[in-house]
Amino acid sequence: MDSAAREALAERVLSFAPDGETEVLVFDVDSGLTRFTQNAIHQNVAHVDTSVRVRTIVDGRTGVVMTNALDDASLRAAVANARAIGALAPRDDDAAGLVANAPVAAPDGAFDTATATASPAERARVVADIVRVVEGAGLWAAGYVTNERSGITIANSSGTRSSYDTTSCGLNVKANGDDSTGFAERNSIRFDDLDGTSAGTIATEKTLASKAPVTVEPGEWTVILEPPAFGELLSYLTGHFSAQSYDEGSSFLANGLDRAYAGDDVTLSDDYAHPLFAGQPFDYEGYPTRRLSLLERGVAHELVTDSAWAKRLHRSNTGHGLPAPSAYGPAVQHLVVAGGTQSAADLVRGTKRGLLVTRFWYIRPVDHIKTIVTGMTRDGTFLIENGEIVGGVRNMRFNQSILEALGAATFSSEIARTGGYSYASIVPTVKIENFRFSSGTDF
Amino acid sequence: MTDFDACAARALDTASARGAAYADVRFEEDRAERIEVRNGSVATLTDRTSAGYGVRALFDGAWGFAASADTSDAGIDRTAARAVEIARAGAAIASRRFGEAPQDRYVDTFATPYERDAASVPLGERVALLLDAERALHAAPSIRAGRAWIDLWHTGKVFYSTTGSRIEQSLLQTGSGMSALAAADGEAQDRSYPGDVGLYQGGGWEIVEAAQLRENAQRIGEEAAALLVAPQCPSGEFDIVLGGSQVSLQIHESCGHAAELDRIMGWEANFSGTSFLDPAQLGTLRYGSDRVTIEIDNTMPRGFATVGYDDEGAKSGRSDIIRSGMLVGFEMSRDTARTLGRETNACVRAGGWEHVPMIRMCNLSLLPGDVPFDALFDGVDYGIYMESNRSWSIDDHRLNFQFGCQIAWEIRNGKRGRMLKNPTYAGVTPQFWNSCDAIADERSWLAWGTPNCGKGEPMQTGRTAQAASPARFRKVRVGVGYDG
Repeated sequence: MDSAAREALAERVLSFAPDGETEVLVFDVDSGLTRFTQNAIHQNVAHVDTSVRVRTIVDGRTGVVMTNALDDASLRAAVANARAIGALAPRDDDAAGLVANAPVAAPDGAFDTATATASPAERARVVADIVRVVEGAGLWAAGYVTNERSGITIANSSGTRSSYDTTSCGLNVKANGDDSTGFAERNSIRFDDLDGTSAGTIATEKTLASKAPVTVEPGEWTVILEPPAFGELLSYLTGHFSAQSYDEGSSFLANGLDRAYAGDDVTLSDDYAHPLFAGQPFDYEGYPTRRLSLLERGVAHELVTDSAWAKRLHRSNTGHGLPAPSAYGPAVQHLVVAGGTQSAADLVRGTKRGLLVTRFWYIRPVDHIKTIVTGMTRDGTFLIENGEIVGGVRNMRFNQSILEALGAATFSSEIARTGGYSYASIVPTVKIENFRFSSGTDF
Repeated sequence: MTDFDACAARALDTASARGAAYADVRFEEDRAERIEVRNGSVATLTDRTSAGYGVRALFDGAWGFAASADTSDAGIDRTAARAVEIARAGAAIASRRFGEAPQDRYVDTFATPYERDAASVPLGERVALLLDAERALHAAPSIRAGRAWIDLWHTGKVFYSTTGSRIEQSLLQTGSGMSALAAADGEAQDRSYPGDVGLYQGGGWEIVEAAQLRENAQRIGEEAAALLVAPQCPSGEFDIVLGGSQVSLQIHESCGHAAELDRIMGWEANFSGTSFLDPAQLGTLRYGSDRVTIEIDNTMPRGFATVGYDDEGAKSGRSDIIRSGMLVGFEMSRDTARTLGRETNACVRAGGWEHVPMIRMCNLSLLPGDVPFDALFDGVDYGIYMESNRSWSIDDHRLNFQFGCQIAWEIRNGKRGRMLKNPTYAGVTPQFWNSCDAIADERSWLAWGTPNCGKGEPMQTGRTAQAASPARFRKVRVGVGYDG
């Protein structure tokens, strides 16, 4: 469903609300994913859906209904049910109400027709490219290739009308040997960027280079984290920049803004317009998202807000709201870490003894406010000696404060888009001193 | 009202005409209601309905799956044809065949037993319960955020297959919980109840009543505040006693996921990982002590994952995973079971109409032991009793784990003593389960539901259950992450 059709749908829903404040979010998605293991496709899926979220505010009482039944009767019922729910809800005189804004233009390059229309056969060809390389080296590959077209429209009775269309695609591959594995990924807006041969080659090289891994002792190590590892680590920091976390005291920023929390080289921003994102320029209330600095040379100045938290804390609305009302507050959506001056290869060359980490797994907070997290290395962990990668090491568990890690960090000049199901970020490779590993495994 | 029989016939005919050797279609309407109160305000009050269908088609040993909400004739034709097109695309580059046409045929219905339909409880009554409980959480000035919530799910689904199956199910799942965040002087502590995410089970409003939110709210708030000034849990090797909800999570992470046969076969290798288990270990691997018996029972009353049939149309039943400490079974689908020469144990679920069915641990239970809960402290000279998960991490082979809990108490000379903050413990799966020397009896055994189990690509959120009672483990590494 294109933006015009979504906007027409949203207008239809608004016409069913006789009075009060009404907001309509229309979500549309068409996605496909081809998954493979042991060098063959084993799951191959696609789905399309259009759904509507209706929020009504009548006399300070809010109700929300979501449905994917789009006929008039169902949509009328959705509006009526939202109002009925709201009528039973307690009145909230502090609620922020709906936002009123002019349409916001999407960044250039947000949509790629080739991605939107890529067929199962095209995905299978990328899989075949990957498998050809991996299988040719005597290994087996597991991974996926995906493409998606999605669109959102936000319209409300205060006059906001905003639409955004985008595409996304990606692949990942894990090459598996007898006693080692290697990983590579690609994340993009453009399907043509999905080079299966290149990704398969990197995963294969990592697997072969980490054959016969050795055990190294846990303890403090110099580590070099490639983008998949660093991006996942930082996904456990972004929640601290929420105005809600700040206010309730669960964020490290509760110690105060305009203070240094990381080293001079550390600059983190939230930037939907970065060309590798070309992201949604407004939040889920329809408010324009502001590009902002989270840590500027280590110093925190800003919080992300939505309309409710901007009002509550008397701060400006930065346009980082989730669908309102939200129990979880505003959220950083587009993390960008500024790169440094050295290449990733130079970071390795400048390391006397350390570990190169391709990817982490199952990171979880241990102590949220201290930013201590634990997790495992995975799919390509290497010993560095005298500036050279000398072989693979068995995987290890770490327990590490993210802020302490950022106190002594050096970044590569290259950056990459990485991501998981709950985050997306653009990050460089990073070198961190005194990273704490607590135990190992036998693989 | 959609005529599912007619829609299904059209979908299956289209898939067959396009060359599918087998096809099934699952129509589903999922309704989710959530109420969440935060600091005296209703932060979430939503009612979500999503309806659609997914078609699975098998062509030359390759599966295709396509899903849509469009039930027009054209929409059904398009979706069924897309499923076959996807299957053909996979078959075209296949070096091996994963799929085989099932032969089962069931015509049946199933409905979750319940005492009171939660939807019949006036919304005002539900909100009032949460506002009361949340207010009581603020038992000390240091409580900065209180939350209380109720989730209600009603899933109606009808499954049809080209073998003639027609299975209609009506599933009710219900959960509620609350949490208090205390913060002061750069320290923050969470307490939640029941367990770490709430009490989630199959059934109606009786599940919310069983959670007893009002009755426990003040205590939970007081505990959160007390944790701010409690001493740090020590580091070292100690005997530990885990509360029932934490044992449930331990089962989920270090048994349930490890014994998923798709994972063992490498089907999840690139994302959620593989497993340290191997089919050759069936009947030979001592997974745990002889006190440890873990079984699947997808017919269990109040089981969060209880259904009549799974999402590939196989009938629910009981089967063993670990019997008296020995590994004897896995969670299986038809295709994976066939590789072992076994029958499926109906552990396949989809996270919604738009998702392809995949193996889930469903209802996986550690059978209760034979001692009262308090007897778990007997014979412990010095140990730690931990409750309610705060942190969980395990490697992608399901061996090396580290978990943290919200609260702990010292055990000295068989008695529970002072409160401790930030408890963590770590171990390696078989060694840990072999250190289990006592499990509390059925009086403290509860079917804990997990509403947010992530697996698969695209990621699916599954609802599983792990019934458990508190248990004791000897000589466990404690305090990891806080030991310098």
